Amino acid sequence: MTILEVQGLNIFYGAQQAVNDVSFEINQGEIFGLLGPNGAGKTSTLSAIEGLLRPQSGKISIAGHDINEKPAYARANMGVQLQSTSFQSELTIYEIIRLFAGLYGVDIDKRKVLAMTQDIGLDESINKRFKELSGGQQQRVSLLIATIHNPELVLLDEPTTGLDPQSRRQLWDRMDVLRDSGKSILLTTHSMEEAEAVCARIAIMDHGKILTLNTPEKLIEAHKDDPRVKEVSRSGRVTLEDVFIGLTGRKIRA
Amino acid sequence: METINQAIAPKAIAPKDSKIFYSLLQADFAVQWRNRRALLASMLVPVVLLVAWRMLVKVYGGPFVFSTCITIGLVSVGLMGFANTTARDREKGIFQRLRITPASTRQIMVSRILVQLAQMLAMVLAVFILGFYLYHVNLGLLGYLLGAAAALIGGAVYLGLGQAVVGLISSADTVNSVSRFVYIILIVAGTVGELGVLGSAGKKIVLWSPYGTVKMLLLSGMTHVWNSTDTWALLATIGYLLVFVWIGIKWFHWNAD
Repeated sequence: MTILEVQGLNIFYGAQQAVNDVSFEINQGEIFGLLGPNGAGKTSTLSAIEGLLRPQSGKISIAGHDINEKPAYARANMGVQLQSTSFQSELTIYEIIRLFAGLYGVDIDKRKVLAMTQDIGLDESINKRFKELSGGQQQRVSLLIATIHNPELVLLDEPTTGLDPQSRRQLWDRMDVLRDSGKSILLTTHSMEEAEAVCARIAIMDHGKILTLNTPEKLIEAHKDDPRVKEVSRSGRVTLEDVFIGLTGRKIRA
Repeated sequence: METINQAIAPKAIAPKDSKIFYSLLQADFAVQWRNRRALLASMLVPVVLLVAWRMLVKVYGGPFVFSTCITIGLVSVGLMGFANTTARDREKGIFQRLRITPASTRQIMVSRILVQLAQMLAMVLAVFILGFYLYHVNLGLLGYLLGAAAALIGGAVYLGLGQAVVGLISSADTVNSVSRFVYIILIVAGTVGELGVLGSAGKKIVLWSPYGTVKMLLLSGMTHVWNSTDTWALLATIGYLLVFVWIGIKWFHWNAD
């Protein structure tokens, strides 16, 4: 079953085309990685999926609901963890959870919040402010809020940036649990190790286009003889990072 | 706004508009309560002026002084409070986080505006109570009610002005500087101008400025004396409100980038 369907997405900023005819699908229970260097069009694609940006053309549907025609329906089936998580600094963790539960129509009381936060090891921190938590703790709260309404699709925008290896592994485990419970995840990351570790399929984007899309193993297999990939391979054995650098180039993007 | 029923979206829990709005309102009031120092600071100016202007109460009467104090308080909440918190939250990405939920942009903004209007009413109440105890000025039930209603209309004008400022300026720091500047201009020119210090032309300009028309409405409400000038003041106030809101909505960006 298809949970996210993106068809012929085109996004322009003035005369500049940020996303060029992008199409992909995410199936139920699948972790899908969207990779690309800075400025590749990942953020624009994600913003369009979130409904924050209206594309010039193309269709996006989440659990069968068009994000532009029925945004509330689509958003009720989608949870989002943004790259930089921003909650009102004056609110406590308990109040933030209560707010977002209410926004998604989830009935919640202090006992339920305690149980939820106990599950992520933060039950003793519910009266703390978000900014008082460590990076790993903040990510756990963000993921809890992104999934508080049990959505079919979870968007994770570079969720492990700045996390220590323990926190990163913990987040990967949580992603596995979500996938095993039938939820779909769209993950953007700059870590090829992460993409390889958790994603069932990966799309590599650059200059607004999807350059290639497949399972990590098949991507490596398909591009291992590409001279651009072979040229950048450092160990002789082609890795996903070699494929990525080979296809998108060595040049550093702003 | 559309609502979700489980037959259409079986895997989503249905958020009702009322529940969404209640949650936003609850959070916005909690934020306001945590920022109570800023809240008290915005109420401090009108209260201090009321205490200091004992002589003016004797010369011009309670309603005149009350309307001046309340107008200053309304400008303070609308410009210094609303504009700055909106700009700050936009810069921190709080609006973007809320916008990716089923909450509509209208619900997000209306909730915030209601909290500001509640703060304005609290300030008006403080001026009325203090005025009664300090100067034994009793406006009567109708005077208090019409005064409060006029304050809400005036408050909406200054919230609109604050919205126009955050609509035209994206940087939170610049919004802070500009709102302070506009606040000082409105208050100084308003209070000095209405006493005729800026000449008759200056007095006329002040009288029909956003400061003057709101003050006129407040005074008419408290004294419940209404004439054709007050009708024009009401129309001008509504005109200012519409223009500010139009600017504030047309040019407002939900993210600061």
